[in-house]
Amino acid sequence: MKIVENLFPELCNIYGESYSMTYLSRCNPEIDLRLTNHKTTPAFVTEDVDMIYLGCSPERKQEQIIQLLRPYTDRLRQLIDRGVIILATGNALEIFGREIREGDRVIPALGIFDSYAVRRMEPGERHNSRYIATFLTDEGEKLTLLGHKSQFSFSYGDFSRDAFATVERGVGMNPETKAEGLRRNHFFGTYSLGPYLILNPPFTKYLLRLLGLDDALAFEEEAMEAYRYRWNELTRVSN
Amino acid sequence: MIRFFIALWAAKLADKLFSLKYGRECDTAGLVANKLCPDFMARVAKPKLVITITGTNGKSTTSTLVANMFRSRGQRVSFNDWGANIHAGYSVNLLRGVDLFNRCRVDVSVLEADELTACDTMPMIRPQYMLVTNICKDSLRRNGHPEYIYDRLKKAFERLGDTTVAILNANDPISSQLAQGTGTRRVYFGMEDTHTDPFENMVNDAGVCPCCGGTLRYRYRHYRHLGDFYCSDCSFTTPKADYLARNVDLAARTMTVAEGGEEYPIPLMSDTVFHAFNTLSAVTLFRELGFTPREIADYLSTQKVPGIRETVVEYEGIEYYTYAAKAQNISAASTVFEYMAKEPSKKDVVFLLDEMQDSNHPSETISWLYETDYEFLNAPQIKKIIVAGHMCYNHRLRLLLAGVPAEKIVCVEEEADVPSVVDTEGIDKVYVLFEIDFVSKARRVRDAIVARAKEVKGK
Repeated sequence: MKIVENLFPELCNIYGESYSMTYLSRCNPEIDLRLTNHKTTPAFVTEDVDMIYLGCSPERKQEQIIQLLRPYTDRLRQLIDRGVIILATGNALEIFGREIREGDRVIPALGIFDSYAVRRMEPGERHNSRYIATFLTDEGEKLTLLGHKSQFSFSYGDFSRDAFATVERGVGMNPETKAEGLRRNHFFGTYSLGPYLILNPPFTKYLLRLLGLDDALAFEEEAMEAYRYRWNELTRVSN
Repeated sequence: MIRFFIALWAAKLADKLFSLKYGRECDTAGLVANKLCPDFMARVAKPKLVITITGTNGKSTTSTLVANMFRSRGQRVSFNDWGANIHAGYSVNLLRGVDLFNRCRVDVSVLEADELTACDTMPMIRPQYMLVTNICKDSLRRNGHPEYIYDRLKKAFERLGDTTVAILNANDPISSQLAQGTGTRRVYFGMEDTHTDPFENMVNDAGVCPCCGGTLRYRYRHYRHLGDFYCSDCSFTTPKADYLARNVDLAARTMTVAEGGEEYPIPLMSDTVFHAFNTLSAVTLFRELGFTPREIADYLSTQKVPGIRETVVEYEGIEYYTYAAKAQNISAASTVFEYMAKEPSKKDVVFLLDEMQDSNHPSETISWLYETDYEFLNAPQIKKIIVAGHMCYNHRLRLLLAGVPAEKIVCVEEEADVPSVVDTEGIDKVYVLFEIDFVSKARRVRDAIVARAKEVKGK
């Protein structure tokens, strides 16, 4: 069995994120999906998990999650170095950066990556966009990723070594860069929110292979048809 | 002051011209007013009674109920009844209520208010009452998440101080916490157990206690996160309702309202619990304004669910509905799906749920599909689900993942093809579920379905 830990779904499922993990587990019965409540110790602290997922959360909860994970920062670093899969979507990726700035406030984050986020909580500052991006697998295969962003913050820093993907259309970590997300070994972080693995079935297949499992998807034909349709539509609208 | 009058006169002239060209449901004159005089809303004369109704769901229906009450009594009412519930809509609504000398000509102003921007607008308008129906998840693109909307409305009440009475839903663990520490009076409405046996939702807007982060539990729930709640770890619990609905009989469309030792009957205009909440919130406001229970009941017995939400035509024993479902508003959509599951007739369901702007924002909307309970649609009496429009492949995948058998799902990209796949026999009803911006399109599709049924019958 492959242990996949969905961290704090009661806090981090504001845009249907948890369905990514539901979907992954429906793709292969070898996946043992663990849902970890924020009042309990995460499984990754004491067990060898194969994958960790952290989804998008409201900003106050995001700060709470930083506090919850801070005692395990070294363990998370260790797991990343060891190549354990970690997927962080939406503002969850900011948790792994150095800090989050909001006006005069500076919220220290886990500091696993050197990026920092700047948050502006006014309606006019909410950023909505889509992206088409290219992701390179370990084997050098190019995958096209689709993403949707709806957020109050952007991240800044040097992403030349740590980018998850390169945006072909849309914006990356901030409007000035095409670098999208964070990556180190098998840590994958993207600002895209919602059920990312349903939005991107080729990436889901890649994750299944990384887990050492057969990469057949649940309702693969329909999932791929919907993906191709979205890709075409996004390409047309972005032109 | 000169600037204000220039804005008023220019906007009044603009209103005349735009109304001639586009009809009265045009708020461009409000834009003119606000542009020329940024504090126009503060300066324009208001009637003695200004009521604001806000919240995620139910504000249109509730504000219509409130406005109609005053109209039924011969009072002059200004009401932004065409959904113009932000800055320009308020301004055009208010300027229509004054003459050229800024003398108020209406008795009451009823404002349906956008919950996101209320903290910027309400301090200028300064309503005497602000009713909040509930706070639920809505469009992520605009409203972010419920905690953010709570913060915005909290700021609105803080800016209003103790001059605006807060009418709040005791059964909503989110919005019931508003207006704390502002010194204003908080009036709560709530509902006893309606025994509606609500389905469990896959996404909970109030998953944890806002005070301590503990697990939120319920003695009973009405729908979604609305119910009689308490925290497992601290003293957070449902506030005491000043107006408590009891004996809610949705099938008979009646309830009683208990208030300070007395209890009186109130008719309901629908068999749904969310409309019962709308009615209850309006009753609470009416009682605070001094209407008698008898006056309220007599008035409510004349009211129907606004036609914009639900229409029906019958042909050869089959009822063909248009039914608003508010795509991207997951609480509204899930509640409608639950209704589809519990409503016992054999039916076909048609989805017209793509928001207009989605043609310019494709792909983003799949997030709401995975927060909405499509699982409810896996019900035996739902014979066929027709998914139409550019999101059809996404809806199909979601329905399959929800366990709906593939043979029940029909996917059509072009809405014009919908009538040809709707059953013409073996069903009691057809529901065309439509995104709220698509009222006329939904009717057009529904009418085309009926026309085709007639054609089939003619053959």
